[in-house]
Amino acid sequence: MLHIGNQYLPLCSGGTRRSFLQVGAAAMAGLTLPNWLSLQASGAVDEKKAKIRNCITIFLVGSPGHLDTWDMKPDAPEDIRGKFKPISTSVPGVQICEHFPRMARMMDRVALIRSLHYSTGASHENGQRWMMTGHDFDASNKQPHMGSVISKVYGSRGDLPASIILPDGIGNTGTTTPHGQESAFLGSAHQPFILGSDPARADFKVADLETPSGQSELRLEARRKLLHELDDAQRHAETTGTLERDTAYARAFNLLTSPDTKKAFDLNEEPVKLRDRYGRNTFGQSCLMARRLIERGTRFVTVNQFDTVFGISCWDMHADGNSLNNTYADYEHVLCPQFDLAFTALLEDLQQRGLLEETVIAVISEFGRTPKINARGGRDHYPSAFTNFLAGGPIRGGRVIGSTDKIGAAPHDRPVEPPQVVASIYQAMGIDLETTMLPGPGGRPIRLIDAEPIHELFS
Amino acid sequence: MDQKLEGTPKATLELSGRAVTRSEVSNDWGTRLQWMISRDGKPVATVGAGLDLTFEHPDTAPGKYEIVLQQFHYVNYKKDKEGKFTESNYISISDPVSYTI
Repeated sequence: MLHIGNQYLPLCSGGTRRSFLQVGAAAMAGLTLPNWLSLQASGAVDEKKAKIRNCITIFLVGSPGHLDTWDMKPDAPEDIRGKFKPISTSVPGVQICEHFPRMARMMDRVALIRSLHYSTGASHENGQRWMMTGHDFDASNKQPHMGSVISKVYGSRGDLPASIILPDGIGNTGTTTPHGQESAFLGSAHQPFILGSDPARADFKVADLETPSGQSELRLEARRKLLHELDDAQRHAETTGTLERDTAYARAFNLLTSPDTKKAFDLNEEPVKLRDRYGRNTFGQSCLMARRLIERGTRFVTVNQFDTVFGISCWDMHADGNSLNNTYADYEHVLCPQFDLAFTALLEDLQQRGLLEETVIAVISEFGRTPKINARGGRDHYPSAFTNFLAGGPIRGGRVIGSTDKIGAAPHDRPVEPPQVVASIYQAMGIDLETTMLPGPGGRPIRLIDAEPIHELFS
Repeated sequence: MDQKLEGTPKATLELSGRAVTRSEVSNDWGTRLQWMISRDGKPVATVGAGLDLTFEHPDTAPGKYEIVLQQFHYVNYKKDKEGKFTESNYISISDPVSYTI
């Protein structure tokens, strides 16, 4: 009988290495790594031949009103145009909200998509599923998050997970339906790693990368050796799937023991002025960490600006006087300034490091907000028209794709649906959508997304 | 998770005639910045501090003017019936400068 951590494993009495693995990583090595433990280096693409790019997706949980931000209608009646005024940008003829002065100066690097729409429901989760996966679905038919798809197609670089979500996964946004931030049928090997901690806090640390209490580095090393011995003894009898898990365990050990990996999450290594430039708040520091992770090998980072819409300052501007009481005051004093600072810092920082050309930035949301201001001075959910935008990589900045009508109620020209945005992100990352397939449910090959990219973003 | 604003923002001001020039904000919370202008000890205006680091208040009525840079301190999102914050508010992040007309 082996004694590993606090667990007794009866390997000598008929148990197999498979059963050993099924005990779980925590039992095996005292690890507390979450369910992305089975990270897999799929190596599906030859990096030397393909132009692979990375992606940072900023998810504006709650969803900004398009009429108050990036699709303003200054000539509309007051109860539609809202409180804010438009300002000119570095792109002639393109105006955005006065509370994005830094972004206005950098519009030549941004491609706005003003004609997004869908009609399958107006819950936050509807929009999250559409924009995170390119599909709508229910719990019985989950589709994988973009980061999981990238993990499957491109695999990992180095010891870091291919897909990481910062600072936390999306929690309660109203219903119990899926949010679209899981690996679904791609399996736990491609589940995004969720940081689950606020990088703006002075006492920030990634709990899952800390050596468990009472576990010295020496003991971890001893367990790694034990794992290798078990591998040697059992290798011939195992399936390919289990061997993939071997790689996952090796990665788990590497994450725990590699100083370089821990450094990737250490914002104290960044210059103080740069941390200030991103904004000393949860969102700003998450964007900075996204850059660090991309720089060190992560393929796809998702920054959820918020993990809920209840009881906090967020974009969900219902002004209901209760737990959804966001108003113009939140936009003016908190949300727009913080976004303006962090987003432009990210663009500048990536560019100065020569990373913008190889990093796609996607700023997405669940939907827009109602053209007519409600009786309480807020705006409600509105998926019939909204604006998202892309930058970096091969995306041609200074573009406006599509438009809405005079009151921002519906697309006026070039209507765009969420799967087209997802297809555009995949294409921008270097994936050939015609030839790249995923193993779907039951192993059946399926396309990554059944939609055409938005060609105007690239030409 | 709600916003955590760590540390304390700080800026320095320099006065040249009536023009005030601010430094970049250290430990910038990223929230909105504004100039708060007082005359003879009474607040007379608040003006958003844009990207231009220099600000000159246009008021030329006689009196002693004091100008300070403020940043919005988000504590929580509680608001009154008009939708205005009740516990979160602007705090001064610089020492004031003053001049007399």
